[in-house]
Amino acid sequence: MIPSAFDYHAPTSLDEALTLLAQGGDDAKILAGGQSLIPVMRLRLAGPELLIDLGRIDGLRGIEDDGDAVRIGAMTPHHDIASSALLGEHAALLCAAARTVADPQVRHRGTFGGALVHADPAGDMPAPALVLGAEFVIAGAGGIRTVSATDFFEGLFTTAVGEDEILTHVRIPKHTGWGARYEKFTRVAQQWSIVAVAATVRAEGSAIAEARVGLTNMGSVPIRAERVEAALAGCALEEAAIARACASAAEGTDPPTDTNGDADYRRHLATVLATRAVLSAAGG
Amino acid sequence: MDLRHTFTVPASPEVTWVAFNDIEGIAPCFPGAALTSVDGDAFTGTVKVKLGPIAMQYTGTGVFLERDEVGRRAVLQAKGKDKRGNGTAVATVVAQLSPDGGGTSVVVTTDLSITGKPAQFGRGVIQEISDKLLGQFVDCIAAQLQSTAVASTGEPSLAEAEAAVAGSTGSGPPPAPSMPDPHTVTMTDIVPTPPVADATPRPTAPRTAPQHAAELDLGSTVLPVLLKRYGPPAAAALAVVAVIAWAARR
Amino acid sequence: MTVTEIGSPRRRKEDQRLITGRTRYTDNIVLPGMLHLAMVRSPFAHATITTIDTHDATSSPGVVAVLTGRDVADEQGSLPCAWPITPDQKAPPHPAIAVDHVAFAGEVVACVIARSAAEARDAIELIDIDYDELPVVLDLEEALTDATLAHPDLGTNKSATWVFDSAEAGTGDDVAQALAASELVLERTYLQQRLIPAFMEPRSTVVDPTGEQITMWSATQVPHLLRLMLALTLSIPEGKVRVVAPDVGGGFGGKLQVTPEEVITMLAARRTGKPCKYTETRSESLMAAHHGRGQVQRLKLGATREGIVTGLSVDLLADMGAYLGLVTPGVPILGAFMYNSIYKFAAYRFSCTNLFTNKAWTDAYRGAGRPEATFAIERLMDDLAHELDMDPVELRRKNWIKHEEFPFSTIAGLEYDSGNYEAATDRALELFGYDDLCAERDRRRAAGDRVQLGIGVSTFTEMCGLAPSRVLGALSYAAGGWEHAQVRVLPTGAVEVVTGVSGHGQGHETAWSQIVADRLGVPFDSIEVLHGDTQTSQKGLDTYGSRSLVVGGMAVVAAADKVIEKARTVAAHLLEASTDDIEFAEGRFSVRGTDQGLALGEIAFATFSAHNLPDGFEPSLDSDATFDPENFSFPHGTHLAAMEVDTETGEVTLRKYVCVDDIGNVINPMIVDGQVHGGLVQGIAQALFEEAVHDESGTLVSGSFVDYLVPSAADLPSFTTDRTVTPSTTNALGVKGVGEAGTIASTPAIVNGVLDAIRHLGVQDIAMPCSPHRVWKALQDGASKGLGAEEPVPDRVAPEQDAGPMNSSGNLPTGDFQ
Repeated sequence: MIPSAFDYHAPTSLDEALTLLAQGGDDAKILAGGQSLIPVMRLRLAGPELLIDLGRIDGLRGIEDDGDAVRIGAMTPHHDIASSALLGEHAALLCAAARTVADPQVRHRGTFGGALVHADPAGDMPAPALVLGAEFVIAGAGGIRTVSATDFFEGLFTTAVGEDEILTHVRIPKHTGWGARYEKFTRVAQQWSIVAVAATVRAEGSAIAEARVGLTNMGSVPIRAERVEAALAGCALEEAAIARACASAAEGTDPPTDTNGDADYRRHLATVLATRAVLSAAGG
Repeated sequence: MDLRHTFTVPASPEVTWVAFNDIEGIAPCFPGAALTSVDGDAFTGTVKVKLGPIAMQYTGTGVFLERDEVGRRAVLQAKGKDKRGNGTAVATVVAQLSPDGGGTSVVVTTDLSITGKPAQFGRGVIQEISDKLLGQFVDCIAAQLQSTAVASTGEPSLAEAEAAVAGSTGSGPPPAPSMPDPHTVTMTDIVPTPPVADATPRPTAPRTAPQHAAELDLGSTVLPVLLKRYGPPAAAALAVVAVIAWAARR
Repeated sequence: MTVTEIGSPRRRKEDQRLITGRTRYTDNIVLPGMLHLAMVRSPFAHATITTIDTHDATSSPGVVAVLTGRDVADEQGSLPCAWPITPDQKAPPHPAIAVDHVAFAGEVVACVIARSAAEARDAIELIDIDYDELPVVLDLEEALTDATLAHPDLGTNKSATWVFDSAEAGTGDDVAQALAASELVLERTYLQQRLIPAFMEPRSTVVDPTGEQITMWSATQVPHLLRLMLALTLSIPEGKVRVVAPDVGGGFGGKLQVTPEEVITMLAARRTGKPCKYTETRSESLMAAHHGRGQVQRLKLGATREGIVTGLSVDLLADMGAYLGLVTPGVPILGAFMYNSIYKFAAYRFSCTNLFTNKAWTDAYRGAGRPEATFAIERLMDDLAHELDMDPVELRRKNWIKHEEFPFSTIAGLEYDSGNYEAATDRALELFGYDDLCAERDRRRAAGDRVQLGIGVSTFTEMCGLAPSRVLGALSYAAGGWEHAQVRVLPTGAVEVVTGVSGHGQGHETAWSQIVADRLGVPFDSIEVLHGDTQTSQKGLDTYGSRSLVVGGMAVVAAADKVIEKARTVAAHLLEASTDDIEFAEGRFSVRGTDQGLALGEIAFATFSAHNLPDGFEPSLDSDATFDPENFSFPHGTHLAAMEVDTETGEVTLRKYVCVDDIGNVINPMIVDGQVHGGLVQGIAQALFEEAVHDESGTLVSGSFVDYLVPSAADLPSFTTDRTVTPSTTNALGVKGVGEAGTIASTPAIVNGVLDAIRHLGVQDIAMPCSPHRVWKALQDGASKGLGAEEPVPDRVAPEQDAGPMNSSGNLPTGDFQ
C-alpha cells in the first residue's frame, strides 16, 4: 500500500535531528531501519507528516569496547550485532537473539536501537537487553541522560524515550565468557516469537554460578524471571535440576492469547523453553 | 468482544445514578476521549488512541439507549469511524447499579466490536488494549464517584482511601464544568498492574501525574519515584493525604 | 526418432525473462493518460449502506471520479456463476460494487478514479459511509439452521443440496443397508478449514477503452472465460472485448474468477474513456480474493473385521461465503466422485449442502474438492487401520483396485483407465525406509521419548484433466471442457503454436515446445508458443483442474498431426510420389526406399510461395484442432510422511517426505518435480500452518502474512519424489495431470503422521492446522482421559446380527445409520 504523503529529512547531526523532532511534535517520527515503521505506514495505520532519518548521523552506528561494557550505537543493524566478535565474547546473548530476528533482509536494515524503542512485546531484542542490564543513553534538548533497563520498558510499545528524545547508544555490561542461548518458539521461520526465552549463564564446574533469564512475549514488556534466576544460582548442571529451577518461569506473567496459542499454553511454553535455554546456555 | 468490569463505591445508588447519567462528567474518563457536543441523550466526540507508531482517531456519536431510573440500568451506545477509513468501533455499554450496603455496586458490561485494520492486523492485541481502555474508563469513573462520596460525607475512611488508590492508578482529569481539552492517550497512561511476583517492579504511575498531585505541589516527578521505590503502600498513604487535602479545600 | 524432447528435463523457456525481470505483469503496464483506481471496502460483514458521502473525495487532488454502487447499478449487472449445481439453486444478486447492502467484510462499496495511485489511496480515506449493522452468520452449523440469514432477502442460507447415491445411480447398493450390515462402522466429523490461495502476484487489471476493441489485461488464469463473461455480464458485443493474461504470478485456482475489481475497472475505463488500472494490496487480496475449502464433513465408513470396506456415506456442509463466484457451488461436488478413491466400495452416498455465510466467497483452490475428499477417506482408512490394529498400508492394499483390474468402473460412476497402486506403493515404501521408520517409532513409543515419531500414509487418486464436455453438461456446468490449439509453420520453417490454455507458472511454453519438437521433428528453439491473448489464441478454456497437458497438450498434438498430413500431401506432390510412399521422420518427408526428401521447412516455404501445389490444395499448412477428452485422467500416488512430535511443546516437524506419483508419461520431469514440490507445500501448509480466521464480527483477523502462515522453504525439508509410469489409455500422449496432485495427497499424510505419533497418548483427532498449541492441547486432553493402555472406545461397532433387537423384517432398527 502507498503511505500518505510525508516530508523527509536526513539530518547529519544529532542536534539537527533533535531540533527537527521538537519542531515536528506529534507529527514527526524517527526513521531508523524502518522495518517496523514503514510497514505500519504502508498499511496507513500511521501517517507521520515528517520522517527524520538518522542514517546520516555519524557516530550512531558501531560496536565498541567501553571498559566494563560494550557500547552499541542505536543505528547498528541486527546483522552487525549477530556477527560481532566483541559481543560474541562479552555479551553472547545479544548475538544469539539478533541471529533469530526475522530474516536476513530485515537483519541488514533493522537496527538495535529502533527495535528497542519500538518495544514490540514479541520483539527479540528487549528481553536480552533487559537481562544483561543494558543502560540506555538518551539525547534530548536538555542534554544526555541514561536510563537503566529496568526503567526503560514502560508498557506496550512504550519506553522511557520521550516524544522529543532520541536513543543514541546502549551500553551492555560485559558478561565475558557467559554461555548464552535465545530459545525462540515459532511456527514458521520468520514469525514473531510466540514465546521466547533469553538465557545467559555463568557456569562454575558442574554447577551454574549465576544465570539471567528473560521472557519475550509473556506480557506487554520483556520480563525478567527473577525467581528462576535465584533458583538457578548454584543449581547442578543437570536437566532435572534445571527444570525444577525453571518451573516458576511463568509466574507473574500476563501472556497474550491469539491464533498461535492461549495464555495457558504460553505459560507452559515459558517453563519448557526456560529449561531448554538454560541447559543450552550452560553448555548442556 | 465482551468485556466486564465491576467496582463498588460508598456513594449511594441515587448519587451514583446521577453521576452515571452525566455524560459530560464521565466522557472525559475514557482515555483519549473528547466530547464535541451534547444534546440531551445524544453526543458526539472523538477518541484518539496511540499505540507505538500507530495512531487511530475515531470520530463518532453516542446515545443513551436506555435510562431506567427505577431499575438503575443505563445503556449507552457509542459508534465511531476512524478518520483514515481504517475501520470502526462500536461499543454498547450497560451499567447496572445495585445497592451494596450503604454504597453501590456497579457492573459494567461492554459489547465492543472493532472492525477494519486494528482487527485485521492487530495480532490479537485488540482484546488486551480494549480491556485496558475500558478498565481505565471504569477506574476513573469509580474515582470520581469516590470523590463525590467523600465530598458528601466529608471524612474519608481507609476503605475509601484504598478505593481512591485503585482509582489513582488510572488517569483522567477530575470532572470539570467545561469540556476539557482532548489529550491523546498513550500506552503509558494505560499501565499494566504490577506483576504479583518474580518480575522486577516497573513504574506504575503515568508519566504525567494526576492533577491533584500537582495541586498539592508534590511535583510530577515525586509520585512516580515513590511508587517505584515503595510500591502501593506509599501510593495509598499519599493518596490519603491528597484526598484529605482536596476534600479540605472544597 | 532418435533424440526425444519428451521426457527431457529441459530448462524452461519462460525463466530467462521471468528471472531477469524482463517480465510484463499486469501492474508493469503503463499506458498514456492511464488513471488509477482504489477501492473502498466495507469493514462490516453484514450491513445496509445508509449514506455515502463522496464530496470530499471528489474534490481531493487528482481525483477524476468516484463511483458508488448506485452510480453503476444499471450497468454492472451481476457477477456470473457458471455452475448451477441444481435447478433450484439459490443465489443472491452479486453486484461488483455493493448498492445498498454488504454481505462480507471487504466487499467493495465505492471506487475512486484518480491520476495517480497515491492520490486514489488518499481519496478513499475521505469517503464517509454510514452503515446499519446486521447480524452475521459465520458458522456452518449455525447457517444450516437459518436462525440468522446471510442474505435476508434470500430467505434461507441454503443455496443447494446435491446428492449422489450409488443405489439410485445404479452403480452399487444402498449405503444405509450396507452400513447397517457392516461389522464395523466408523463415524467421523472432519473440518476442512478455510484457506486463502495467497498467490505470489496480487491481482491487477488494466483496461484500455481507447481502441477499436476494448482491451483488458488482467492477472487471470482464465482470459477466455473472462472475455465471455464480461461480454455477457456487461452486455458488450463479444467481438469488442479482448482479454490478455500477460505474465501472471501464480493462481492456484485463486485467479480462476470473474472478479468485482475486473468489472469495476472495465466500467471505470468506459466511463472516463481513459485507460484505467487497479492493483490490489496484499491485505485486500487476503481479505477479498476468493477463499478455498471450508467444509464440515460427516462421514461413515463401514468395514468387515478383516478390514474390507463395505460402504461409505459422506455428508457435507460447504461454505459458499457471501456469494457464488464463477464455480463456487461446483467445487465440493468435484470431490463427490473421489471419496471412494482407489478403493472398491459396494455402496456409496454423497450429499452436500451448500450454505451462505457472511464471509468472502469461496471458489477453486488447488485441488478444488478433491483434497477435501482425499483427506476424508485417507484419514478414515488410517483410523480404520488403527481400529483393527492393522498396518495402514496393508489395509489399503486389501481394498484398492488391483493393477490387473483396470480399466475399472467405480462406485461413483467413473472409469479409471489405468493405474498401478502396487508399484507406486512398493517404490514409496522402499524409498521411505518404511520398516526402519516404523521400528524407530515403536522404539520411541516404548521408551516414552519426549519426541515421538509417527508415520503418515496417503494413497490417492484424483480426477483431473477437466473435462469431458458431456460430463460437465450432466453436472450442469455452463461451459465445456475441450481445448484448442493451432500449429503454424512459417515460411522460414519456424513453428508457432497457439494454445488455448493460459499458463501462470506451469511452463507450457517449454512443454508444448518439447511436444511439437518431437512431433514435427523441428528444433526445440525454433518453436514459439503463443497464449493468453484472446486475439492471438482465439479459442480456449484456459488453465485449471490440471487440464493443460491432458487436454491442451492433446489439442496441440492433434493440430501438429494435421500439419503433418497437409505437408505430406505437398511433399508427395513435390516429390512426385504417392502419399502412401511418403515417410515422415525427424522433420523430413522422404520417398520410401530412396534418399529423396524434403524438410518440413522446405515444404512450408513451398506452400507459402504456392507456385507448385496440388490442385485444389489450400496454400496453407496451418492447422487447428479442438480436442474434447473422452474421460478424466486419473493420476495416483503413494505418499509417506515421517512426523516428529515434541510432546512437551506440541511442535510438529516434518522429518521426511516421500512420494511416488504416477502421472502417466512425463513430458518434462523437472517441471513435474516443480509441480509436485509446490503442491506438497500447499497441502502440508493446510495440515500444519494455514487457516483463514474470522472474529465474531466477521473481520478476517488473519489479515496479513504475520497471521496467515504461508510456509517458506526454510520451514520444510527437501522432498524425495519419484514416479512410476502407467500411461493413460485415453489420450495419445499417455499423460495424466499433475498440477494438483501434491496438494491432494499430502494433507492427510501429514495429519495421519501426527496422529500416529501420539495416538497411544490418548489423542484421536486434531483439527487442522495442527498447530503446536492444538497438538499440545490434544495431548493434555488425552492424558486427562487416561493414557494409552486403553484402546479408545471403538465407534459404534454394530451388534452381531444374531443379538440385539430386530424388527420383523430381520433388520436392525433404522434411525441409527443415516
